[in-house]
Amino acid sequence: MANPLEITGLTKTYGKFKALNNVSFHMEPGEVFGLLGPNGAGKTSLISILTTLITSDGGTARIFGVDVSQDGKSKPLVGCVPQETISHGFFSVEEVLHFHSGYYGIRNNQKQIDFLLDRLGLVEHRDKRVRQLSGGMKRRLLIAKALVHKPRLLLLDEPTAGVDVGLRTSLWSFVRELNAEGVSVLLTTHYLEEAETLCKRVGILHKGQLFKIEKTQTLIDSLTTREIHLKVAGDLSGIEHPRLVEKKGGDLVFKVPSHVVVGDVIRELALAPERLLDVHIREGSLEDAFVHLIKDAQ
Amino acid sequence: MSAVTVNLTWVPFFTLFKKEVMRFWRVIAQTLLIPLVNSTLYLMIFGVSLGKSIQVSTDHPYIAFLIPGLIMMGVLNNAFQNSSSSIATSKFHGDLEDLRTVPLTHMQIVCAMSLAGMVRGFVVGLVTYSVGQAFFYVTQNDWMIIAHPLALVFFLCVGGFAFSALGIAIGFSSKSIDQLSAVGGFILLPLLYLGGVFFPLTKLHPFWQALSKVNPMLYFINGVRYGVLGTSDVSATTCVFFSLASVLIAFGLAWRAVKNGPYTRW
Repeated sequence: MANPLEITGLTKTYGKFKALNNVSFHMEPGEVFGLLGPNGAGKTSLISILTTLITSDGGTARIFGVDVSQDGKSKPLVGCVPQETISHGFFSVEEVLHFHSGYYGIRNNQKQIDFLLDRLGLVEHRDKRVRQLSGGMKRRLLIAKALVHKPRLLLLDEPTAGVDVGLRTSLWSFVRELNAEGVSVLLTTHYLEEAETLCKRVGILHKGQLFKIEKTQTLIDSLTTREIHLKVAGDLSGIEHPRLVEKKGGDLVFKVPSHVVVGDVIRELALAPERLLDVHIREGSLEDAFVHLIKDAQ
Repeated sequence: MSAVTVNLTWVPFFTLFKKEVMRFWRVIAQTLLIPLVNSTLYLMIFGVSLGKSIQVSTDHPYIAFLIPGLIMMGVLNNAFQNSSSSIATSKFHGDLEDLRTVPLTHMQIVCAMSLAGMVRGFVVGLVTYSVGQAFFYVTQNDWMIIAHPLALVFFLCVGGFAFSALGIAIGFSSKSIDQLSAVGGFILLPLLYLGGVFFPLTKLHPFWQALSKVNPMLYFINGVRYGVLGTSDVSATTCVFFSLASVLIAFGLAWRAVKNGPYTRW
């Protein structure tokens, strides 16, 4: 089976600005892949090429083996939730979904539309005109539009920007559900904890270049440290350890590589067991890894 | 979710056509009532009040000359406005991008939008014709008989389609609502007024007569006048030729605009 996405040497230039510079990567079938990067990194340009909104200046992008530049044949395979909310002044939520189904050649799509309205909490808003919806509701409609034709690859371009916690949680649970049914997902987001939870692999895009692509956990492990906080009774002045970074009140703070076991650190300290009052561990996050990478790149 | 069978033939085309027709139907006050009021005013002022002192032909009263011109003016204006305003509002709302990302071909977009504009033009033409008949009956105590119904329908359809296609081209290339209004106000409206809606070509100075011959409106308006009255300033064959040439050019411009965009929001 062809990969959901196969990108080779993709390039896009706006005047003198290189939005994408020889970007290559692929997605595995059924994968949730995170494309991360600061503002202006080229994420939206890449997604716009995949949805044929813009054309690339070089390289190829294939969706399930179909070149996106090939007469729109890849379009039925993809659903895209764009970054910015849009309106449809004259029409209701349900009408918009019927039109969108029709554009994909689907005549009677009531069952799928009802499913999406229900799943995205839009049932009571189905007869409202789109301009009457709140920002969050408009974003739900965008998600419904992207899924109306049951695409095999879902592109989410910062779908939770400016969205409340409730919608975010329900959106991610829906995405997990879709993914479990075989839909592959390409996600761009600024909320890195979301990417960390959802994505098996991530690619870091910076200034148009994809300079890191890795399994999410491997990336975190290789670029971050775990922080161990030990609450210790009594005098701390005599305690020394190569990984000890701070003594704060009754706390000892250690920074260790992620493979280092907490028990080893405690054993090396050779503390009497009754002195150890509490242990708190803060694992490295994708955000830490991301910040580390971007700092290195600059 | 299992993948649905996707029928890419006529459904996308009909969907866009239906959406565009529904769009103007939703704002019926703008699309039909305003042309109704306009044609009533034109007929009252030019057809009834001033028309008594205007003699354009020995065969027909001035109001009979005016009605076909007003019909075509309404058709061309509304067909243009339908597609151009649809694109302009979509650029404003941000949903024009949908047309690029869904599996609609350029040909389907141009044909569906042009046909929808043509339908609006046709409906406005019908309204203007009905008002015209009422005025004709009141002033002439008789009904106006259509001389060549098929020719009338032909010119209404070709004119409506051409101007709707032109609206697509202008809608895409405009960078703001102001620019779009400027094209309508400074180019199309003068061409319409100088295309022989209110007076025959022979009443103009020879220089303006020669210049009017490059105005495509002249052929559409005279084509409709031929359809309604059986006579016109320009021969029906010439009107057919120039009308078809205009529709081909407008279609080409619309196709190029749809192919190249831009689809980005204002």
